[in-house]
Amino acid sequence: MRTPLRPLSRRGLLSGTLGSAALLTMGGSLAGCGTKGAQQTEAGCVSEDLSGTEKKLAFSNWPQYMDVDEKDESKRPSLDEFITKTGIQVTYTEDINDNNEFFGKVQNQLAACQSTDRDLIVLTDWMAARMIRLGWIQKLDPAKIPNVQANLLPSLINRPFDTENRISIPWQSGLAGLAYNGNVTKELRTVDELLTRPDLKGKVTALSEMRDTMGLLLGSNGHDPANFTPAQFDDALNKLKKAVDSGQIRKFTGNDYAPDLAKGDIAACIGWSGDIIQLSGEDEKVRFVAPDSGVMLYSDNMMVPNKATHRANAEQLINYYYEPAVAAKLAAYVNYICPVKGAQAEMEKIDPELAANPLIFPDEALLSKSKVFMALDEKQEKEYEGKFQQVIGA
Amino acid sequence: MRMAPETPAGDLRLANLTKRFGVFTAVDDLSLTIGQGSFFALLGASGCGKTTTLRTIAGLEEPTSGQVLLGDREITRLRPYKRPVNTVFQSYALFPHLNIFENVAFGLRRRGIRSVDDEVTRMLSLVQLDGYGNRRPAQLSGGQQQRVALARALINRPQVLLLDEPLGALDLKLRRQMQIELKRIQTEVGITFVHVTHDQEEAMTMADTVAVMNAGRIEQLGAPADIYELPATAFVANFLGQSNLLAGEATGASGGDVAVTAHGARFAVPASRSRAEHGPVHLGVRPEKLILVGSADQVPAGHQHVTGVVTDASYVGVSTQYLLRTGWGTELSVFAANSGTSARVAVGSEAVAYWDPQHAFLLPRDAADTDRTSPVLDEPVGASS
Amino acid sequence: MTLLAPTGSGRPPPAPPAARSGRRGLLPYLLLLPGAAWLFVFFGVPLAQLAAASLYDPSGSLATGYAMTWAFSNYPDVVQAYWPQFLRSFGYAGLALVLALLLGYPLAYAIAQKAGRWKNLLLVCVVAPMFTSFLVRTLAWKTILSDNGALVGLLRDVHLLAPDGRLLATPFAVVLGLTYNFLPFLVLPLYASLERLDPRLLEAATDLYASGAQAFRRVTLPLSMPGLVAGTLLFFIPASGDYINAELLGTPNEYMIGNVIDSAFLVRLDYPQGAALSFLLMAAILAVVFGYLRRAGTEEVL
Repeated sequence: MRTPLRPLSRRGLLSGTLGSAALLTMGGSLAGCGTKGAQQTEAGCVSEDLSGTEKKLAFSNWPQYMDVDEKDESKRPSLDEFITKTGIQVTYTEDINDNNEFFGKVQNQLAACQSTDRDLIVLTDWMAARMIRLGWIQKLDPAKIPNVQANLLPSLINRPFDTENRISIPWQSGLAGLAYNGNVTKELRTVDELLTRPDLKGKVTALSEMRDTMGLLLGSNGHDPANFTPAQFDDALNKLKKAVDSGQIRKFTGNDYAPDLAKGDIAACIGWSGDIIQLSGEDEKVRFVAPDSGVMLYSDNMMVPNKATHRANAEQLINYYYEPAVAAKLAAYVNYICPVKGAQAEMEKIDPELAANPLIFPDEALLSKSKVFMALDEKQEKEYEGKFQQVIGA
Repeated sequence: MRMAPETPAGDLRLANLTKRFGVFTAVDDLSLTIGQGSFFALLGASGCGKTTTLRTIAGLEEPTSGQVLLGDREITRLRPYKRPVNTVFQSYALFPHLNIFENVAFGLRRRGIRSVDDEVTRMLSLVQLDGYGNRRPAQLSGGQQQRVALARALINRPQVLLLDEPLGALDLKLRRQMQIELKRIQTEVGITFVHVTHDQEEAMTMADTVAVMNAGRIEQLGAPADIYELPATAFVANFLGQSNLLAGEATGASGGDVAVTAHGARFAVPASRSRAEHGPVHLGVRPEKLILVGSADQVPAGHQHVTGVVTDASYVGVSTQYLLRTGWGTELSVFAANSGTSARVAVGSEAVAYWDPQHAFLLPRDAADTDRTSPVLDEPVGASS
Repeated sequence: MTLLAPTGSGRPPPAPPAARSGRRGLLPYLLLLPGAAWLFVFFGVPLAQLAAASLYDPSGSLATGYAMTWAFSNYPDVVQAYWPQFLRSFGYAGLALVLALLLGYPLAYAIAQKAGRWKNLLLVCVVAPMFTSFLVRTLAWKTILSDNGALVGLLRDVHLLAPDGRLLATPFAVVLGLTYNFLPFLVLPLYASLERLDPRLLEAATDLYASGAQAFRRVTLPLSMPGLVAGTLLFFIPASGDYINAELLGTPNEYMIGNVIDSAFLVRLDYPQGAALSFLLMAAILAVVFGYLRRAGTEEVL
């Protein structure tokens, strides 16, 4: 049934040529400009603050990251109290599900110095660092957030991307460390065990978040995740690559490792403390391990993006959530590490058991082991992230 | 393993063939012998089992019981592609994705024959489609497609060629032409043709032997003229042309004649044309064998007659068809040839219909059966439906 | 025409044909306009933009912007870095296609020719999974293939799988996921083709000395070719660009080119590389498709 290809007619040739020419012209016109840089400066992109006249605040956050009333899930006690107290109408939206996805959502506006219609957003360290580096975030007035100055956990002071604590303020923090399911494997203590123990082969996952996985590996090599050289990074990456090539590491995950760990499909992993606390609540054999070589402390940070018009209102809210009593109330619901000093004492009044949980209120020993990943400039980020992605397969 | 035409094929025999579909019996204990090289027609109304019989021979249907034999070989359970039998389907079933050449060559190629060109060309010319090899079936007219279907089957030189209503989809003129064509080809190739049709005229024109089927059984089998002139059953008498059947009682044979009493009159039928000598019978006369005259004294000697009133006269060119209402209320059908020798009879006038006893026939009758005439004037013998 | 016009009626003669055909000639193009505009804005422009992005200076960044330097070297660069994922994409998609054909052809044939009054029900069964999200269906496979699930347990018990063997996070799982997820795209066009197949043609073929297998090869298969070609393309194209199955059912060792593009655009923010990869994938698929169509040679499809 083969039919000979029809000879190309002159007309077909002509239209084909015209079409290609049109595409080329279009390409050419685009080529003329390329893309403009997304970098903004404080002087170049000035934001107005209308807080004086508008008692409003648009607050974007992750799902299940705010305490709700036990009886009526539509009520948020701590937030409602803030509204009553200050008269600021807070529009609370749970529209952040993924750092990259949210970045894509606001990227075009912020790159062009336009409003995102949000006054306060919550993003993880590395994304916060990227946005700060791009000049997309407004600086806060330290005088208006005295509680932060007074109560911020010492480990979170002087983070590489915000040395003055006036651009991004931790909402909740967490640890990236090891976890295992005691039902299917014996105790796990070190990163090296995770990457080499034969009984775990093919039953291990690591996080696709470069800073968490690479931070732990750098630590396990005796290097400082907060300050390392490219050669040290490559060392750690090689270690990871060996574990991937040998089939020890089954895959790299986001949050989706949690159900697999609970089922026992994976026996051990690099995971986040918040997830593991929840799993432990259902099955105490699922354990979080902070290896002696260090754990990664990460935070989700409140930030006021450029062109947000209610910065002062946002500052009021940030200050409010740094009152120990309020912070304890929130921590009791969300089970992440509470970044507020003094909240532990307040928690004693609410729930003594939670107050004693080191994954909510880490002790000195744990805090001394925790590290924050080095701040990367864009070039470094692209290079490291590119290498890391190649090893994890994408 | 090409079958040479001179291979002695032998007769096609069906022995006690029965095919049931659930509770419905399509073919009922049918036994039949079809002579080698004959043109055999299976004639019957739709649903009489003729197509099922054909499909059983082709192997497309497995009989519930009974045998199909070709010469000495039993082929009852043989897969269709292993039988030296080919079919021309009613729908032609030409392969739409192949051109005419490949359609015709299909059977040869399946049997692993490499050089098919000469044979296909010869076959296309036999069915007068020279030069059509590159066309697709959809580009051909109905008659042309029919001839391709024929060539596609014939090229395999089967021992038996089955034709399932092959002319049913053609218009009248084309059908006539193809009837002659088929007959010519059959004479030329000398293969046994089994032709299924519901068209009695088609069966009579083409076949050497006709079998009239009804309800899964064969009612009568014979040469077309024999069946027509002396039908075996009332069904055949009326399926094959028309008949006037008068209900009567036979009172026995005497001197070569069977005496019949019907409606108070006495008739005689030669014993050679009687299929019953006693008891309830139908006395049958074909409408064209009846002659209409004005009065009984015009009836020639040795002829028998019935008197009545003309209730209808239709002039159809070659003949005039009359309805004659008899004294007991039955209407008889009379065809008078327009040969110019007799005057036309007016409607409403009294008339006498007479016939030569040599043209009458006597059939056994169920006691409950009454007169059966077929005054269906729009379908006389000789005209096509 | 003028000869036939009634004489002396006083009506003007019909307009000269040239003028009418001129207006008529333009109409089809006018009707094309909305569609063409749509294609231009939502396909042509983004495509050109992507083409341009694939030639941007690879050392550019989001912060500083990308300069157009006609960096054709982006293409060899990404090929060098990611050729295993390219090969894997087409390998997995091809393997899945073979499996899907083995499953899908008999299925489509049975539904079209043998299902009788169950035909509609069976069709609904084929389409019904599409009513749930692609993600949910793939996650369901994750549960089915789970290490501690019943299936793996059974396979271990009958020694088809080593005691520590697994199904999840293997190439098998990814190919299985691809096969499952894109099967309806293959079955539906095939069904449409096979449904039109006249069973009398098969009778004719067997009557003409074709065994069952020959009848399939010479009649069924060629007549189902339009559906087969459309189905394989509808299956293969999305399957080779897929990244969900590799992401959820595989490991980094099973990642396909879709995963790389996903990460280039969303994680690494390497737009030139992402664009170059996208263009290469498109070109590779087009090459496969044209090669295939030339071989299959179906004028019914093109």
